[in-house]
Amino acid sequence: MNWRSKLRFRDLVGTSFLGLRSRRGRTALTALGIAIGIASMVAVVGISASSKAALLAELDAYGTNLLEVSPSSSGLAVEPLPLDAQPMLARVDAVETASAVSKTNLEVRRNVNDSSIAGVTAMGADPELFTTLRMTMATGRPLDDGLGSLPVAVLGEVAAIRLGIHDLSGGPTVSIDGHNFEVIGVLDELPLNPDISRTVIVGDTAAVEILGIKPNPTSVYLRVTPEEMATTRPLLKPTANPDRPAKVNVSRPSDFLEARAEVDRNLQNLLLALGGVALLVGGVGIANVMVISVLERRGEIGLRRAVGATRGHIRSQFVLEAGLLSGLGGVLGVLLGSAITIGYARRQDWVIDLPPFALAAGIGAALVIGMLAGLYPAAKAARLDPALAVSGGT
Amino acid sequence: MSTPVLEVDDVHREYPGSPPVKALNGVDLTVDAGEMLAVVGPSGSGKSTLLNIMGTLDRPTSGRLVIEGVDTSTLSDRRLSGLRSARLGFVFQSFHLLETLSALDNVATGLLYRGVSGRKRRSMAQKALESVGLGDRLQTRPTKLSGGQRQRVAIARAIVAEPALVLADEPTGNLDTATGDGIVDLLRDLNQDGATIVVITHDADLAGQLPRQVEVRDGLIR
Repeated sequence: MNWRSKLRFRDLVGTSFLGLRSRRGRTALTALGIAIGIASMVAVVGISASSKAALLAELDAYGTNLLEVSPSSSGLAVEPLPLDAQPMLARVDAVETASAVSKTNLEVRRNVNDSSIAGVTAMGADPELFTTLRMTMATGRPLDDGLGSLPVAVLGEVAAIRLGIHDLSGGPTVSIDGHNFEVIGVLDELPLNPDISRTVIVGDTAAVEILGIKPNPTSVYLRVTPEEMATTRPLLKPTANPDRPAKVNVSRPSDFLEARAEVDRNLQNLLLALGGVALLVGGVGIANVMVISVLERRGEIGLRRAVGATRGHIRSQFVLEAGLLSGLGGVLGVLLGSAITIGYARRQDWVIDLPPFALAAGIGAALVIGMLAGLYPAAKAARLDPALAVSGGT
Repeated sequence: MSTPVLEVDDVHREYPGSPPVKALNGVDLTVDAGEMLAVVGPSGSGKSTLLNIMGTLDRPTSGRLVIEGVDTSTLSDRRLSGLRSARLGFVFQSFHLLETLSALDNVATGLLYRGVSGRKRRSMAQKALESVGLGDRLQTRPTKLSGGQRQRVAIARAIVAEPALVLADEPTGNLDTATGDGIVDLLRDLNQDGATIVVITHDADLAGQLPRQVEVRDGLIR
């Protein structure tokens, strides 16, 4: 006697697809629930990856070899850097350029009669700063050695917006401590140095001679040969202030940018968890729909049992049907999530980074959730009494 | 003497409840190869229970069902399913056709759990459909067929695997008299060609047209 039921795998898949094809509207709506969950997760991962890629590209452009040497701000009295800090630092081998700046508390106004406060301060700077910080001009020109002593100013991007100066037509001027300075240029964005973006830059000589500020630098910006970063950094404190090295602080502005990416991770996890909740709800939806489907398809189940399906065949059919249903949602979700990422990254002018792992994981997770959701309805279908099922009407 | 296709031996079937419902009270029945018989009885007589037990869709509470010499009471679900797929064919009153499949694919479903390739299933299904006179409706969906044509598709599905026994449960129950007669004629033709057929019916006229009648009443064969 060789009576054995046998269902080929491709026929099992075909049978499961048939169940989905026979109820297209319901299939689409149920898959949509999963699609939303997967799409949100793919979009969260894609957008944060793209944001990170953009950040890294930005870091690349501005360089991670920029250091800021400034007086340590711990304690009440801030000890300024010595006058010769800049030439001393410039003499260190691995230092490519060193530019001193003197940040001030002097308010910058549109004109002398303006009493409003824009929150923009003035800063004196060695014209070489433009090279050291790799500044680019939105409009106009930078300071140079010939302009360093003249009453001219370059506006940071944020400072220009706050002062309401959008272009150089009509020869705009600003008023610093009662002195008029002609605006000769406006800077582009400075991601590594947002503080400088909020200032108005005047020549170091003009700062001392016209505004009367102390010539001690408040910061010295350095470009260091990248390979010698680690060995050079410890030398900088004693070089800048040989008497009081502890009163000197050395920081790397790109670290702040990287820290910002880390902070975003908490938000990313929260959003991922929300996507996970959507996915769970979608899974429950699938279980629900499959239970109803099993009740409606008693006749079909009975017929399949009569033509030789084992309980296992029925169970596999429904588990796979739920898995395929959910997998369909997963594919839809990955497409949707990718589209959201691409759209968002384009708007932000980011590099588009869609980790292939996230896409595969999205579809895989959907399949697994669907099959788990299908376990209970499939067991119900398999347990159905075939005699009752065939007599249960059409 | 050859082994009977089917032997029902002192079969009882009781459904739990208070009081328990005794559907069959010791039924004996033997069906030989090539036979065609009617199991006739009013509703509630136990004839549907008898059909389900003969088709291994239900198990007796006590007694034996022997198919082609094999006692089915000890067989696992897997073996019983295999037996149904290879040796039994079913025709139901309500057809049980899958509406989204063509007539051809519905008939091919009768071979789905035999592990036969799709191509082979279709070619066998086509032959079966031709033998029930629907060779020109292979790709038609059941919703586009008349009741009589649907039942012919279901009969083709029942015989496509060349079973030892075809069990037909009120095959004309959903059809008008003329169409029902056509279905009975078809079953008789199939019997002439060698198929063993058991028809369950409450219709004494229909039963009278078949070579052998067995009457079930109150769970017993009279």
